Order: sequence, then structure tokens, then C-alpha cells
Amino acid sequence: MSQDLLFLTGINILMAWSVYIILLSGSLSFANGGFMALGAYAAGVFTMKWGMNFYAALALAGVGAGIVGALLAYPALRTRGVYLILVTIGLSFIIQTLIQNTDYVGGVRGMTGMMGTTNWHVWGLIAIVGAGLYWLSRSHLQRQLDAVREDERVAASLGFDVVYLKIVCFAAGACLAAIAGGLYSHYMVFINPDHFNIFVSIYVVLYVVLGGVNNLWGPVVGASIMTILPELVRGLASFRPLVFGAVIIVLLLVRPNGLLAMRLRTLKADRERSA
Amino acid sequence: MIAEQIVNGIVLGSMYALVALGYTLVFGVLDKLNFALSELFMLGGFIVIGSVGLGAPLWLAGMLALVICGLLGLVVEFVSFRKFTSPDAQVTAALSSLAVGLIMIDLVQKTWGGEPVAVPVPIEWRRASLAVFGMQVQTMKIIILALTLVLMAALHVLITRTAMGRNIRAVAESPTFATLLGVDVKRVNQQTFFIASALAGAGGLMFSLRNGVAASDVGFTFGLKALAIMAIGGMGDLRGAVLGAILVGVIESLAIQFGFGKLGEVIVWALMILVLLVRPSGLFGGAHVTEQRA
Repeated sequence: MSQDLLFLTGINILMAWSVYIILLSGSLSFANGGFMALGAYAAGVFTMKWGMNFYAALALAGVGAGIVGALLAYPALRTRGVYLILVTIGLSFIIQTLIQNTDYVGGVRGMTGMMGTTNWHVWGLIAIVGAGLYWLSRSHLQRQLDAVREDERVAASLGFDVVYLKIVCFAAGACLAAIAGGLYSHYMVFINPDHFNIFVSIYVVLYVVLGGVNNLWGPVVGASIMTILPELVRGLASFRPLVFGAVIIVLLLVRPNGLLAMRLRTLKADRERSA
Repeated sequence: MIAEQIVNGIVLGSMYALVALGYTLVFGVLDKLNFALSELFMLGGFIVIGSVGLGAPLWLAGMLALVICGLLGLVVEFVSFRKFTSPDAQVTAALSSLAVGLIMIDLVQKTWGGEPVAVPVPIEWRRASLAVFGMQVQTMKIIILALTLVLMAALHVLITRTAMGRNIRAVAESPTFATLLGVDVKRVNQQTFFIASALAGAGGLMFSLRNGVAASDVGFTFGLKALAIMAIGGMGDLRGAVLGAILVGVIESLAIQFGFGKLGEVIVWALMILVLLVRPSGLFGGAHVTEQRA
């Protein structure tokens, strides 16, 4: 497998996880392509124009996007279901259009010169985030998030702070998407706003839908299959949207929760086993 | 100049309105988003190009665009909406129709390539203009405006005056009660999808006539904005969709006139978010859906 393919697979896994983290609290976000753009451009500005260290730039871009995400989440998460889809699609378009009109970062012509990302960075981050998500899946927090996702009213009546949990998830997802964006821009050297159009957000959501929405391996499988398979099977690459779309349609009809829709071992299951 | 831009905005808005009407019809009846409408909008222009290429005269090609888009709408209903009937399946149906849209884009790009394709209309047609109140207005724009008005009037009569329209309104009010009263909900859903898709196709047909080209990316750059318009006008509110579309068209045209360029798009999406947060029943308050928050 070539370096580039390995890199793209890694970025797509990180992006799929960023959607998955937001989905943990029951919100589907089509804004992650926008947050990826924010991170890519912010990190680029930090290293190229402000002379910042690569790691510091990534961290700052991530934290910044997390704060922006939290600020946007507060009003956005008052809406639910298809309304939230509309709001997040709107955010994606707004971020892309604003970047197109900002001359400081090159507008529609884009920005160039960022470098420094290697596959070690990407896959190192995947290991860290994966370990974190694995820890999360066995923690009490996961149980609370499950409750919020299944029924907000019940969760609220159990004393969980639903709004707080949803905002934290949204901010964490935005942060991860931004860091993935920063890694992306420092690998690609050149970026322009079209690299982060609405299709990016849509595809990432569909990776998660394809792989499975209720455990952390689903997004990994979905992102990997849809990134690697078209490259390995000759002739499939040019039919990628067609095959991808058809697979999603069939999958939603026969397995609405995605390929890997089963719960992994959880705290409760362990306790029941030991009891 | 400003008057001219307002006329441009109204013409633009009337094309938005056709797609937004489609979105809001489907949402009113099923409470679901049909993302494939944006791509049927895109297909409208390509069907004209294809059928003129096969030797059909332009008027027939236009009719074909409406009918084929309508029939494709039935396919979308069958594939992406028939099985997902529960209110919980809102998001599933939206994702599924999104996937159908991706397939349509890919098929168009396989057939015609990724670049915009010229619409086979004589150049004089697009150049011709009439003097209206001292302004030079392209004849094409007047034709577009007239055709949109005819379609909207036809829709209005259909919804308010016919048995089919009465059934559609009944299902929009409550599918359960409509069923109890003997309305065939499945049939009404199909009718709604056909009408909505034909309207989107008509919008796309006129959009490509105005631009002189059909492009495979207009579904997402242009057609998706009809979603914002539907939300601004009120989800499920037909009159709101038309008013919202004209408002958005004029805002965009004026933004270009005053040198803000594409920032007009930011205004549109920001306005949508604001309306969803502050007035979820829409700017004009006619949407029948108000329960969206926990």
C-alpha cells in the first residue's frame, strides 16, 4: 500500500471517528468537513505565517475548533433530527464560503507551503484516539451517552446533564476533525476551499453509516473499506460514488445500523459475567 | 441598476422556489427530507440535452424532463422512503436519498463528463430582450418567470381544488386519520413524490436554459440551497417556500450588486439557522410542524 493511500485512510478514519464522537450523544453532524477546513487553515496559518511549531499549531487549531464547536453547538443542538442536519449543512457552507472570501489565507486560490506530517503522526494519533474511545466505551460516561442517545427525556429525568454531554461531544468531534484537517494540510502542501466542500462532510457521515454507528470499530471499517477498496480493485475507482451509494442504500434497507452493528463488551456485560 | 438586480433576484428566486416547493411538499406530507430532489434539479437540464440530442424538439424535451424527473421521484420513494415510515427513520430516509443523489451525479458524470455541457438553444434566444418599464429584460427571464407562475398556479389549483389535493392535504395533516377515512396513503406519497420531483426537474430545466449550460455540480451548490429556503419559509409551508425563495434570490442578487459576491450565500445559510432556532415554524409562520424540540 502506498504512503499516500495509508495517509488518506488514516485521515478518513480520524474524520469518521470525529462524526462518531458527535453521534455518541445522538447528533448527526454534517459540519465536520467544515471543522476540518477550519483546522487545516488554522494550523497552516500558525506554522506558515506565525512561525509556530508544528505540534503547537495542531494543538492550538484543535483547541480553537473545539471552542468554536462548543459555541456553535449550544444553539445548534437545540434542534434535532433532520433540523440538525440542515443546521450543520448550513455551517459547512458558511465556513467554506467564508474561507473562500478571506484573502489572508488565499481565498479561492488556496494556500501552499505547509509540510511536516508523516504517517507516524496520523497513525500515532489514531492509536491515541482509539485507546481513548476504547476506554470511553467501557466507562460510565458511555452509559450516560447511551441514555442520552436513546431518549433525551429519560436521560434528563435520570439527572444527566443532557445539554452539557451533547456540547462536550460536539466540541470533541470538532476538535478531532480540526486536528485531522491540520495533519491533512501539512501533508498535502497545497489546500484550497474546494478540498473541504460539502461532499467531504457527506462522505464522512456515510463512512460511519456504512461501518456501523454503535461501536468504535464501525467507523474504522467503513472509512478503510471505502478508501482502500477502490484503489485495490482495478476499475472500481472510477465507479466509487456509484458503488458507494448503492451499498449505502442496500445497507440501510437490510441493516439500518450499519455493518458492525453490535455492542462490544461493556461495563454492564462484564459485571453481569462476574456476578 | 438596483431595479434590474431585483428583477434578476426574482427570476433566480422563482427557480429556487420550484425546488423548495418540492422539498416542502415532501416534508409536509411525510415529515422527511428528500435530498435526491437537489439532484433531480440537476438532472432536469441534462434530460433536455439528452432528448434534444436524440432528435426531440425543445418543447417535447422540456415535457420529457418533467415526466422523467417525476418517474425518477417514484423510484426514490420506493428505494429510500417506502420502508422507513416511522418517525425515528427520518434520518435514515434522508441518508438513503442522499445516497441516491450521489448515484445520480455519478451517472451524469459518466455520461456527459464532469464539465458543464451547453444546452442546445439558439444563441439569439438567449440574447433577445424586451423593454419593460424602461429596463432591458432578457426574454428568457420573462419566459422563465411566466412558466414558473403557471406551474405554481397549477400546483395551487391541484392542492386546493382537486380530490388528489384534498387527499394530499389530509395525509399532511395526519396519515393515521387519512387512513381511517379511506385515503390510500401509499398512493398519496407516490403522487407527492411525482409532483415534487417534476417541479424540481422543471426548476433545473429553467436554470440550465438561463445559464446556457447544464452542470453536474449544481445539485449541491444550488439545489441544496432550496433546503435553506424551505426552512426559512417554514417546513411544509408552500406559500412560505415561494416567498422565502424570492427573498433569497433578491438577497443573493443584491449581494452581488453591492460587491459582496458569494458572501450572499453566507447570509442565506445564516438566515436559515437563525429561523430554525428562533422561529421554527418559518418566517411566515405557516408551517404545520412545530414540534421539533425535546
